[in-house]
Amino acid sequence: MMPTAEQERWEVLEKIGAYAAGELEGEEASEAERLIFERPDYRRLAESYARMLVMLDTFGSETVEVPEAVVNFALRRAYVSAFMRSAEVFVGALGRSYLDAFVYYLGLRPKPAREGYGGGI
Amino acid sequence: MSAADRNLALRAARGDVGAFSSLVQEHSGLVYRMALRVLGARDAQDASQEVWIRVWRNIKSFRGDSAFTTWLYRITMNTCLSVRQKESRRGERQYSGEVPFLAEPPGGDADPEAATLNSERRVEIEAALEHVRAEHRAALVLRHMEGLSYAEIAEVLGVPDGTAKGWVSRGRAAMLLALSKENGHDGAGGAGP
Repeated sequence: MMPTAEQERWEVLEKIGAYAAGELEGEEASEAERLIFERPDYRRLAESYARMLVMLDTFGSETVEVPEAVVNFALRRAYVSAFMRSAEVFVGALGRSYLDAFVYYLGLRPKPAREGYGGGI
Repeated sequence: MSAADRNLALRAARGDVGAFSSLVQEHSGLVYRMALRVLGARDAQDASQEVWIRVWRNIKSFRGDSAFTTWLYRITMNTCLSVRQKESRRGERQYSGEVPFLAEPPGGDADPEAATLNSERRVEIEAALEHVRAEHRAALVLRHMEGLSYAEIAEVLGVPDGTAKGWVSRGRAAMLLALSKENGHDGAGGAGP
């Protein structure tokens, strides 16, 4: 468990970060402004946060080139998987047909129930 | 775009590889970018491939309640975080109490060139991200690099809104500490546990 003093330091650090990100309103924003106004090091902290947020935004909007291997691998796996699925369905259906034919050949298929004509017992 | 994605996802769920291929072409940038930022260059390619395997395997579970991209972000983040759990983690910087400081770029904040990052800055950002706890980093990346709202981050990470907000906040602070250390301004103590 974090000691209280460290916890408090983190709270201030996070509060000024939230202020720099424009996420505080009302009472909380005023409290952060008071801290920044009173202490030059907190003012520098808020400026540092602002700089970091610009950097992150810039970093995030940079285009990233996707290695061709990623796309090719994903598509190859999907095609193989789809082929295997189809093959499984085909082989399953073929096997069932052969089994049906074999059962018919051996005469093991139960005779269908005789249809009644509604003539009573 | 979202309706088109939904349509492609539903076709892919019925086994249409062509539709899946369109989704991969359209969104491979998003997946790779996220993997790169959360895991770094070394693991990004393997993680991206793993993401697309999971997408193909689970596409039937996509019901279209949320946007396809939200669902994709979720799978990407789950994959990245599970990769991270397997590794020994670099510790988060401890906060000694000295206020962290990030130097002004050459030419000042108003310098238009400051809007583009030089390779040194990029390396610093990547190195600093390594020192932010995985969940906090994921939340930070989603918020400040991908521009997602807290509600979207909460949905992607599967946590309540308040937790998402807390993770972004802690990630932002940890990132500044690590960045100021990388930058040679030591507001941070030694590496934590």
